[in-house]
Amino acid sequence: MTTRSEAVYPVGWKNGRVASWLVTVDHKRIGILYIGTSIFFFALAGLLAILMRAQLTTPGEHFLTKNSYNEVMTMHGTTMVFLVVVPIMAGFGNFLVPLMIGARDMAFPRLNALSYWLFLLGGIVLWLSWFSSGGAPHAGWWSYPTLSEAMPWASPGHGQDYWILAIHILTLSSVLGAINFIVTIHNMRTAGMTWMRMPLFVWAMETYSILLILAMPAISAAVTLLLLDRQAGTHFFIPGHGGSLLLYQHMFWFFGHPEVYIMVLPAFGMISEILPVFSRKPIFGYKAVAFSTLAIAFFSMLVWAHHMFTTGMGVGLDGFFMISSMVIAVPTGIKIFNWLATTWRGNLQFDSPMLFSLGFLAMFTFGGLTGIFLAAFPVDWQLNDSYFIVAHFHYVAFGGIVFALFAGLYYWWPKMFGRMLDERLAKLSFWIMFVGFNMTFLPMHMLGLLGMARRVYTYHHGGLWTVYNSISTAGGVLTAISVAIFVANIWITHGLRKGARVGNDPWLADTLEWYTTSPPPAHNFDSVPYVTSARPLRDLRRRLAEDAT
Amino acid sequence: MRRKLPIFVLAVLVALATAGIAAATNGGLTPVQPESPNASHTLTAYWVIVGFTAVIFFLVEGLLVAFIWKYRSRGRGRDVEGPQVHGHSRLEVIWTVIPVLILCAIGTVVFLELPKIDAAPASANPIQVTVEGHQFYWQFDYPNGARSINTLYVPVGQVVDLKVIATDVIHSWWIPALGGKIQAIPGQVNHTWFMAEKAGTYEGQCAELCGVYHASMLGSVVAESQSAYDGYVGKYAAATIGEQEFVGVCATCHGNLGQGGYGPNIASNSLLVQVAGLRRILQYGESGPLGAMPPVGDTWNSAQIDALIAYVKKSIYKSAPTGGTP
Repeated sequence: MTTRSEAVYPVGWKNGRVASWLVTVDHKRIGILYIGTSIFFFALAGLLAILMRAQLTTPGEHFLTKNSYNEVMTMHGTTMVFLVVVPIMAGFGNFLVPLMIGARDMAFPRLNALSYWLFLLGGIVLWLSWFSSGGAPHAGWWSYPTLSEAMPWASPGHGQDYWILAIHILTLSSVLGAINFIVTIHNMRTAGMTWMRMPLFVWAMETYSILLILAMPAISAAVTLLLLDRQAGTHFFIPGHGGSLLLYQHMFWFFGHPEVYIMVLPAFGMISEILPVFSRKPIFGYKAVAFSTLAIAFFSMLVWAHHMFTTGMGVGLDGFFMISSMVIAVPTGIKIFNWLATTWRGNLQFDSPMLFSLGFLAMFTFGGLTGIFLAAFPVDWQLNDSYFIVAHFHYVAFGGIVFALFAGLYYWWPKMFGRMLDERLAKLSFWIMFVGFNMTFLPMHMLGLLGMARRVYTYHHGGLWTVYNSISTAGGVLTAISVAIFVANIWITHGLRKGARVGNDPWLADTLEWYTTSPPPAHNFDSVPYVTSARPLRDLRRRLAEDAT
Repeated sequence: MRRKLPIFVLAVLVALATAGIAAATNGGLTPVQPESPNASHTLTAYWVIVGFTAVIFFLVEGLLVAFIWKYRSRGRGRDVEGPQVHGHSRLEVIWTVIPVLILCAIGTVVFLELPKIDAAPASANPIQVTVEGHQFYWQFDYPNGARSINTLYVPVGQVVDLKVIATDVIHSWWIPALGGKIQAIPGQVNHTWFMAEKAGTYEGQCAELCGVYHASMLGSVVAESQSAYDGYVGKYAAATIGEQEFVGVCATCHGNLGQGGYGPNIASNSLLVQVAGLRRILQYGESGPLGAMPPVGDTWNSAQIDALIAYVKKSIYKSAPTGGTP
C-alpha cells in the first residue's frame, strides 16, 4: 500500500486562514465579519465623538476648525447609523437566526456574503471621502439640501457624492440582507417551531427586515434625486427653479424614522432573550412582546414628520404626527413593563449580559420619556434642534441600543468563539460605561434647555454652559475608557488565551443556539430536537432531569 | 458587585435629583425664563409633561431598583428557577390602558395650550417684520421699510408677527425666551410671533445647520419703549445700516477690521469701494481658490450697498500702498 505525504483531502487555497474568511458563505462567519467590521467602525465613530467633545469642552476652543467640526459631526452620525448599528444587527441576525430556528444556514448563503461585502465596500467608500476634493461631507447625516447641493457656498466638493454613493451601496446591502432574513425565517424553521415558539430575537429580525424593505427605497430615491441635482443639473431640491426643500425632508424622514426602529427593535429582541435567562424565568407575556414589536413597526411608518415640526407644516399635520408618535409609546411601554415583570420574583444572576440589559432598561426608559416632550409639538418647537434632542436620541441610541449590543456581545461571545470573556473586566467596563454615558449625555438635556443649538462647533457662554459641557467631555473620556477595556478583554481572552473554554450552554439558556457546540460546527446541528415550546432547551433539561430520577 | 448594583443605581439617582434641585431656578431643568406669552404657555405644557413623565420615571426606575435588590440571587445557583409565570392578561391590559390615558391627558393639555402658543392674541394689532435667514446673519425688514442686521428692535408689549424666509440654505429662527423655533426655508414662507413682556435683550441662535459659520449665526431681540422703537426704525436703523452690514455680515469671515480670517484680507481691496464690483460679488458670491463666498447681499437694495461703501470708506478701507483711488 502506498502512503501519501499529502493530506487525503487536499487543502485548497480556499481553506487558508485568511482566504477562508474571504470566500466564506457560512452565516456564522459572515455574522462575525459583520460584527467585527461594525466594531471597527464603532471605534472610528467613537474617536470622532471624542474629537467633538474635546472641541466643545470650553467656549471658543480651537481644537478643531469649524469646517472639520462639521465633517466630523456628519461622519460620526452617518457612520454610527449606517456602518455600526444597522450592520451589527445584521451580524447578530446572521449568526443567530439560523441557529435559533434550527436551520443549517441562511436561505441564500452567497447573497448573504454579497450583503456583507457590499457593506464593507460602502463603509470604505464613505471613509474615503476624507481624501476627496473638499474633504468629507459636512452637511450633517441628514444632508438636507440646499446645504448638500453643489453650489459653491454649499457642498461643492466630492465628499457629498461619496456620501451618496455609500448610501446607495449600503441600502442595497441592507435590502439584500433583509430579503434573506425574511425567506430564512419564513421557510427554514425547524420542526415544531411555530411562529409563537420562535425566539423573540427572531421576531425582531423579521420586523427589522420588513422595515428595511419598506424604508430603504425612500432614502435611495432621495439621494438619487440629490445626486441628479448635483451632477446632472436637475432642480428637485433647488427652490429658485421650482424644487422643494420640504420634499427632501419628507423623503429622508420617511426612511429616517423607521430607521430608528430598524436599529432599536433587534436591540429589544436581544433584551427579550437575555433578561429571562438571567432572571431564571420565562419572558413575561411572550405574545405581548412579540406583537408589540409588530405594532411599533407599523406605527413607525406613520410618525416621520415629527422630525419636521419646526418646518411650518401647520397644526393639522403637526397634530396628526404628535398623536401617532404618542401612540408608538404604548407598545414601547408594554415592552418595558413586560421586561420589568420578567425580573419580578426571579433569581437574578448579575453576569455582564444582565448588567448591560438592566442598564439598557434604566437608560432606555429615560430616553423614551424625553421623547414624549418632543412628540408634543409646541414643546418640540422649543426643544427641537437643540442639545436636548442630541441627549434624547443618545439615551435611546447609546443607552438603549449600544448597551443592548454589549449585553448581546457578552452573552453570545462564548457561543461565537468558544471562550468566555473575562467577567471582572466586563463588569468594570459596564460600570465605567454606565457612569461615563450618563455624565456625557445627561448634561446635554440642560444645555439644550439653556438654549444651546445642536451642530454648533463652539459657543461663547461661560457659567453653566461651560460646566455642563466639561462634565459631558469628561463623561465621553470615561465612555471611551470603558470601550478600551472591552477591546483589552478580547485581547486577553483570545490573544493571551486566558478565556475559559465553555461547553454548549454556559448560561443555562433557553433557545436552540445553545444546543450545539461552542463554536458551532459548519453545519450547525447534527440533529435538532422537535420544538414544543418557545424554550426548547429548558424543555430538554427538564426531560433529562426527569429521566435521571 | 451584586450588592453594589442597587446602591450604586440609587446613589446615581439621588445625585441626579440633588444636582437637579441645586441647579433649579433654571439651571437647565426647564426652558429659559419665558418673556413672551407663547413661551410661557410652552413652559406650562412642559411642566405638565414633566409631571406625568416624572411619575412614570420614578415608578419604572424605582421598581427596577427594588426588583434588582429584592430578587438578587443571594448565592442561589443558576439552576434555581424563579416561578414560571408566563404572563398575566389583566395586568398587561392595565399597563397598556394607563399609558393610553396618560398620553390622552398630555395630548389634551397640549391641544388646550396650543392656541395660546400658536396664534397671537386676536385683538392685538401686530407689527409685521420679515425675518430673512442668510449665511450667516439675520436681516429684519420693518413695516416702514427700515432694515436691521442680526438685532431685531421691537417695542415692549406689542405683538410682533414674523414672516420667516430664506434664500440660500435652511436656517431656523430661535430666541428661546420668546418662544419656539421656526425654520427659514428657501422657497417657503413661514410665520411665528412673540410679544416681549419686559424690556431687555433676548439672545438666540440659528438652530439649523447652515454651513461653516452656523455657530456664529446669533440673533437677538431688543425690546424697548415705543418711543425708542419709533426712533430706531425712523432714523437710527438707516443711519447705522452700513456698519451693521459690515459687522454682522462681512466681519464674520473677513474680520472686524477686514484684516482677514476665514475669508481673505479685504481691508485694502479696492473692490470694497467700487459700486458695480461690490454689488456683483454681494449678489452672486464668489468662488475663489480659498473657498466660496456666499451671495450674502442678494436681497440688498442700492441704499444698503451705498451705506456699506460709505461705512467701509470711513472705517475699514485702507487704500493700497500703490495708491488706489476710492
